Amino acid sequence: MATESSNGASIVTLKDVTKTFYRGKEPIHVLAGLDLDVPSGSFEALMGPSGSGKSTLLNLIAGLDRPTSGEVTVAGANLSRMSDGQLAKWRSQTIGFVFQSFNLIPVLTAAQNVELPLLLTDLGGADRKSRVATALRVVGLEDRMDHYPRQLSGGQEQRVAIARAIVNDPKIIVADEPTGDLDRKSADDVLTLMDKLNKELGKTIFMVTHDPAAAEKASVQRKLDKGALQ
Amino acid sequence: MNSATYARRNLSRRKGRTILTVIATAVAVLIFCAIRTVDVNFMAAVDDAMADRIATRHKVSITMQLPKRYIDDVRGIPGVTKATWGNWFDAKDPKERIPFFQGLAVDHESWFDVYDDMVVDPAQLAEWKTTPSGVIIGDKLAELFQVKPGDKLTISSGIYPGDWEFKVIGIYMPSRRTVDRNSVILRWDFLNNDPRAELVKDQIGWILTRIGGNSSSAEMSRAIDKLFDERDDQTVTMSERAFNLSFMGAFAAVLTAFDLVSIVILLIMTLILANTLAMSVRERTNEYGVLRAIGFPPKSIFGFIVGESLLLATLGGLLGCVLTYVLINLMLGPWLESGPMATMFPYFRTPPRVMALAMGLALALGLLAGLLPARRAAKLKVTDALRRVD
Amino acid sequence: MVPVRYNIRSLLVRKVTTFATAIGIALVVFVFAAAQMLGEGVNRALANSGRTDTVIVLRKGSDAELSSTLDGERLNMLRSNSAVASSAPGGGVIGESVLVITAELADGSGGISNVLLRGMPADGMKFRPEARIVSGRAPSPGTNEVIVGKSISGRFEGIAPGKTFEVRRNRPLLVVGEFETGGTSYQSEVWGDLDTIRASVGRESVVSSARVRLTSASAFEGYRAAMEADKRLNLKVMREDDYFKKASEQTSGFLAGMGMVIAILFSIAAMIGAAITMNGAVANRTREIGTLRALGFSRLAILTSFMLEAIFLSLIGAAIGLLFVQLLALVSFPTMNFQTFSEIVIRFAATPAIMISSTIFAVAMGLLGGLAPAIRAARISPVEAMRG
Ligand SMILES: Nc1ncnc2c1ncn2[C@@H]1O[C@H](COP(=O)(O)OP(=O)(O)OP(=O)(O)O)[C@@H](O)[C@H]1O
Ligand SMILES: [Mg+2]
Repeated sequence: MATESSNGASIVTLKDVTKTFYRGKEPIHVLAGLDLDVPSGSFEALMGPSGSGKSTLLNLIAGLDRPTSGEVTVAGANLSRMSDGQLAKWRSQTIGFVFQSFNLIPVLTAAQNVELPLLLTDLGGADRKSRVATALRVVGLEDRMDHYPRQLSGGQEQRVAIARAIVNDPKIIVADEPTGDLDRKSADDVLTLMDKLNKELGKTIFMVTHDPAAAEKASVQRKLDKGALQ
Repeated sequence: MNSATYARRNLSRRKGRTILTVIATAVAVLIFCAIRTVDVNFMAAVDDAMADRIATRHKVSITMQLPKRYIDDVRGIPGVTKATWGNWFDAKDPKERIPFFQGLAVDHESWFDVYDDMVVDPAQLAEWKTTPSGVIIGDKLAELFQVKPGDKLTISSGIYPGDWEFKVIGIYMPSRRTVDRNSVILRWDFLNNDPRAELVKDQIGWILTRIGGNSSSAEMSRAIDKLFDERDDQTVTMSERAFNLSFMGAFAAVLTAFDLVSIVILLIMTLILANTLAMSVRERTNEYGVLRAIGFPPKSIFGFIVGESLLLATLGGLLGCVLTYVLINLMLGPWLESGPMATMFPYFRTPPRVMALAMGLALALGLLAGLLPARRAAKLKVTDALRRVD
Repeated sequence: MVPVRYNIRSLLVRKVTTFATAIGIALVVFVFAAAQMLGEGVNRALANSGRTDTVIVLRKGSDAELSSTLDGERLNMLRSNSAVASSAPGGGVIGESVLVITAELADGSGGISNVLLRGMPADGMKFRPEARIVSGRAPSPGTNEVIVGKSISGRFEGIAPGKTFEVRRNRPLLVVGEFETGGTSYQSEVWGDLDTIRASVGRESVVSSARVRLTSASAFEGYRAAMEADKRLNLKVMREDDYFKKASEQTSGFLAGMGMVIAILFSIAAMIGAAITMNGAVANRTREIGTLRALGFSRLAILTSFMLEAIFLSLIGAAIGLLFVQLLALVSFPTMNFQTFSEIVIRFAATPAIMISSTIFAVAMGLLGGLAPAIRAARISPVEAMRG
């Protein structure tokens, strides 16, 4: 159970959360009665064997999915009670996503990829431009603005993805195996960057990873096995 | 950048597919325009009829004749400004070089007054009025027969036996583009005095009447028919449009079939667009999952896909209109108008309104084609979309 | 050979795409087959109308019965030849008067069309053994009674059993029955008494045309030579079947020709549709193709495999198109006989030849559309496919 104290108030609270999938009629109990508290401003790593439900848990925290039962409260919002539309809006303001396979839009330049989340705001063109520039500067790729994803290395792509994740100034960044597709050097760059986001910009980071070295960087390491946190 | 950027950029992802789809749409638009052009121009002679001209014919049959004295009766009706008559001559080229043209035996005194959209040089007209065996022929037909005023012209008829020798007196020019330029116009009195026309002596095929400015054509038609209602040969009078149409009778069914067929090509176009969209959406499911995760609502995804579909349809539609203009209005049209089919299609161009209609339909069907894939993508659960890797 | 199973699976997995493409091909096949069926229908109606042992006599210069006239003297001349089967009804020669009348459609649309009215002597019906009354009775000779062909019965105002219509003022013609001639164009006519009908148009002394039954089909040339020899008679003698064939050529040629042009234009669109789909199939399976190549399948095997898939796709389309085109057999289509300006109602007629040619057409579309993608697939290098 994760009940350890932290300097900030909880930003993520899961209470008795279960998640059951159905493969046809047969139920798959992925999460069973899970409780979790993530303090604001922490950098947490979640590890565990494949199929243990890490991504499922992450999706619940990120508001991509809803629990079968139990309460998920993130940044003061009770996600279990929100409609799809409300969730989408909430995500755009609160969550930044980093995926294993970067998931940049291949037909858009780095800057345009970073700009995407801003299209959901009322910001004008000039404001968006400066925000994009700032985000790209944070990840150290301001000179690659006009490059397309295929013109970037994997590590650079992931850093653009991180810029996209922070451009909206979200409170929490969720990352599902962000270094899974990267070599050691690129992975370390990305992890250093995440550390910087956590330390300098105060972002809460919740990261799923298989990589012990990545988990090392986090301030808290958790282990999920058979649907329960160790 | 805005949301349209994404829809636009997506088209460049699989350039081959985009190009093929645009071409297919363009071909469909071209075919649609071509079919409508046949249709529109077939009806052009009918639709372009003069509003102040009404035609009177035998009530029972287009092949039955009226007594010649009817013309005087019609001329006596108040409101009638001019009236003339004509008979079918069923003209043929005895050497069978020219497949199809019209022959009319008409009243030389009044014909060109009523049909003032066939323009004849006054001197030639005056000469014709003193030359019973003279004919005035259309400029296109004169070209086909390679004759000029003063030349002899031999014609045969499906109705009257033997060869008929005429002298070409003049050429008429059309003042409107739907006027048939392939007619040979001979004098009715010349035909009537020939023993070969014994059976229809003093009979006329139809009467064409011009009515004064303030009389309605419906009222005048009734007045004419009422005049002959008690006679042996009753008449039916109608607008020139309806008169022209009555020769096409069952042809209407063919035109209906054409209309159906032009709907089929639109269906094919819709299917091709829908197929392309479905394939693209399938390939991009994961990406739509990412967009949804970032916070784009389902309706944005819907908009991206429909936007892409509309963009494809617009490109295809525009290319189709350009192709139509080049292939039909610049190439096929001029060729048809001067070739042996000229009688059928004196004017063969795709009117702008048909292209506008085709463009509108392409857009509407593009929208329709995008709806289904767009709905499916928008309805997908974010987590499912993200897991999709094929 | 790459197992055919892969192709079938590929088509099944991408249901929407397969379906959309197959329907596109089906529509083209439908149009292609329908055009031919229409032409065939016209052929059956017109070309089968005539007999080889019967000649039709017109005035020279006329192409059609409608514009021809023959007087009684000429009619008599036609009998005076040993080739005439004088024991046949009417002594082997009947003169008939045809008239095209304007009739208003009975569907209330106000549309008008032309109907062919044929006045025949008492033996006229017997002269055509294929004609039989299917409802009501035959008209009594010398009266105002007429019978209507089954194809147009009820199509026009007043031209249906029990109803009357006027050709001359206050002399209504009464429809007393319906007849059938085995689907030929006669079945789109109205038949009545010769004298009644020609009197009503004021041509008591003449007929439009004559039909002569010969002792045998081979007697034709001799008979024609004899009749056309006398230039003063001004006669045109044709075999009846040739006469109708000529009429049908114009009409069916026009319809089938138009239809064919349209279908071929359409096939361009459908071919592009097939190309898009097959391209997608190749793109989706780049990895799989690479694997197959790595396993030792030849380029030719890959090419064949994708061509087969394209053929399957077009066969599905052809099957759907041909299935639906059968429904047209239930539809009758009014068209115009160019020789008489009158309406003939024909049925779409399906023949095995049409079905086969349509299937071949569909397969050709599939092959042409699938060729470029299949070549692309065959050129995929195993190494690159596995990497990307
Ligand atoms: N939408 C779904 N429908 C059915 N089963 C699902 C679904 N999503 C996840 N599962 C199942 O839930 C279990 C946990 O999946 P999850 O993706 O959370 O695992 P994971 O811990 O992230 O594994 P990995 O380390 O391989 O990414 C697995 O058995 C998976 O098959
Ligand atoms: Mg996972």
